[in-house]
Amino acid sequence: MVDSSKVPVSGSPGGDAGAGTGESERVWRAGRLDPMPIRKLPEAPPAIHLLGPTVFLVALGVGMGESYMWPRLVLVFGPEIRWLFLIGVTLQAMVMLEMARYAMATGESIFAGAARVFKPMMWFFFIVAILVYIWPGHLSAGAAAFEEITGIPWLVTACVGLVLVGVVFSLARVIYDLLENVLSVLIGVLVVGTAIIASLVGSWSDLTSTLTGMFAFGYFPSEALSSTWFPIVVGSIAFAGPSGMQQMWYTLHLRDSGAGMGAHVPKIRGLRHAGEQEEMPARGFMFDTDDADEMKKWKGWRRWVTFDALLLFWGITMLVTISFTVLAQAAARENPNVKTLIEGGDRDAALSAMSDSFAAVGGPVLGGLFFGFIALIGLNATLGLFDSFSRGQADMTYFFVKGARRFKMSHLYAGFLWGVIVFGILILLFGPADGPAGVLDILAFLSTFAMGAYCVVLLLVNNRMLPKPIRPKWWQNAIIGFGAVFYLGMLFYSLARFGVVVS
Amino acid sequence: MDTTRLLRLGELALPGFVVGLIAGAVAGGLAGLVGQPTGWALVSMLTLGLPLALLGGGYGLLAAHRKVRIGGFAPAALFWLVGFPLARVLHEVLSRLILVGEPGLPPDPLGFLAYQGLVSAGFAIGFLWLHERLAPRWWRRVAPRNPVAADVYSAYAAHAKRVFEQREARRRARRQQRDPAARPAPGGKAKAKAKAKAAPR
Repeated sequence: MVDSSKVPVSGSPGGDAGAGTGESERVWRAGRLDPMPIRKLPEAPPAIHLLGPTVFLVALGVGMGESYMWPRLVLVFGPEIRWLFLIGVTLQAMVMLEMARYAMATGESIFAGAARVFKPMMWFFFIVAILVYIWPGHLSAGAAAFEEITGIPWLVTACVGLVLVGVVFSLARVIYDLLENVLSVLIGVLVVGTAIIASLVGSWSDLTSTLTGMFAFGYFPSEALSSTWFPIVVGSIAFAGPSGMQQMWYTLHLRDSGAGMGAHVPKIRGLRHAGEQEEMPARGFMFDTDDADEMKKWKGWRRWVTFDALLLFWGITMLVTISFTVLAQAAARENPNVKTLIEGGDRDAALSAMSDSFAAVGGPVLGGLFFGFIALIGLNATLGLFDSFSRGQADMTYFFVKGARRFKMSHLYAGFLWGVIVFGILILLFGPADGPAGVLDILAFLSTFAMGAYCVVLLLVNNRMLPKPIRPKWWQNAIIGFGAVFYLGMLFYSLARFGVVVS
Repeated sequence: MDTTRLLRLGELALPGFVVGLIAGAVAGGLAGLVGQPTGWALVSMLTLGLPLALLGGGYGLLAAHRKVRIGGFAPAALFWLVGFPLARVLHEVLSRLILVGEPGLPPDPLGFLAYQGLVSAGFAIGFLWLHERLAPRWWRRVAPRNPVAADVYSAYAAHAKRVFEQREARRRARRQQRDPAARPAPGGKAKAKAKAKAAPR
């Protein structure tokens, strides 16, 4: 029974972890799963704790959309089309904040939240994750860029990279710490390097047109409504920043980083250190929302995650797309052939032409550097994706598959990780990397549908499973509601009007 | 200023210096290669790398002496709003000096400066991001002989200590829960229910 509209069920006022007072423990009952014991909320980190788990979202989110799809749309429709990107990324930043609300308040993933509302919803995401994310197609762009620099065939890079990812994650003591360190350095280099390249190649006019284009609200050229471009434009908005289930996985990274009540849940360890893996609690925790001190700490955590969302996620995603748009404009100015190729939609040819154009201006090394960044973006996305997928599936299996708790969380994580790696290598060698051609449309449909669905889940979970004082405000609900209508509406409109899913 | 004091200051500035140098040298330097002789390429690399490194070191000193809020974005962004365009102007002027033998500003200097000022925000994020990764570890290493480093590191350590203590307390509590000898008999109904469900299956 859902008993979440009231304040926490009261037992002993001092019901703390294992206090063993002999009295009943205070719990928060939410949905159909076990009640959450009341624990102390840790202090929010001070400003010096700059880096948060947003690093994962940035790694996952800054992908081909930012470095290729949006520059392409700008070249085709002009910089004014970028207002749609602004909407897309801002919506994702709001989704991120709402995902963080549940994860930080309970230490549970959003999947567990979905299961509290209605278990089949969680199984839907479990299946979608497998269908959409086991195909190793995302490796190809980064590995192909690496081939351009080194001459090593991309298939070799991709297969070796896959095994390497598995080995590193299996040997790591605490996977989250390792990955946060690696991704932080990679993204730091990416951001600094992108800024410098943009400062060398771009100009004031490129930047002003890109920036002013972001505020050309309402601009929508008639060609963008054609059956060729509409699905691409909608897909680019939906996939601006993290797409598919990446936002849901973010809740697992938040928990492992110890944010909010996630501090009460142990971290996942690598396979070699599985013996040290602590017992996972069967459910999350809740803090006392009637206590003014606890609410003060909660506000601190909200400030921390808002800073993360706005500066790191929103800021870096914006910076990388603006930089790449400036780069694309500069490349098209140098070489009109680039514009034709980018408009034509052949991604590899377009990236190659952009690199050539930079080589013409700044020497072959600048061309190589451009490919270096594409490879770096690919590497970030692949590392993040493999970890996130395994984390999400292991979490759902551990908590909701009968008998799964005979294994440790580390074992399940390693099982999914190596499963997706072995499958990936087999597919790279013998099958279609993006998935069978016949189901590509279904996969694209599911990916967008999942985004609409998680907005609905967020509304349900945050408004029904959390105590009143920490529920979202009406305008926050309105934005997430708009997200649900937008993702699902555009998906079905595109299907009904043009007979194609977003791409 | 004696040598030891200079050395101590150098230690404080090193992480920022390295981040600036890497950023400038890798991206700017490689971009300037243009098939030129190695010596020329090196000069070009240094004209961007060195100003960024010196400025980066300067930021490190400010942070270490707590003149700017450590880890804060706004001070770093303000610092690079001035510093980054300055480094780029130096890069352009010195590159021209070497290329054509006389120094000169880029065409439309105001537009150039404004553009570099905007890009500096992006650079500041990346710089701070990397600096916050490197600096606390380095400062911890030099802390025994460098009191300023010890002081700034203690600010980072205080936070880490708090996090560690919280984690240890949770571990103790969990161990206590698992160890039946240490656990008193459960009393209330809700607690008994919660524990039963929380127990490992």
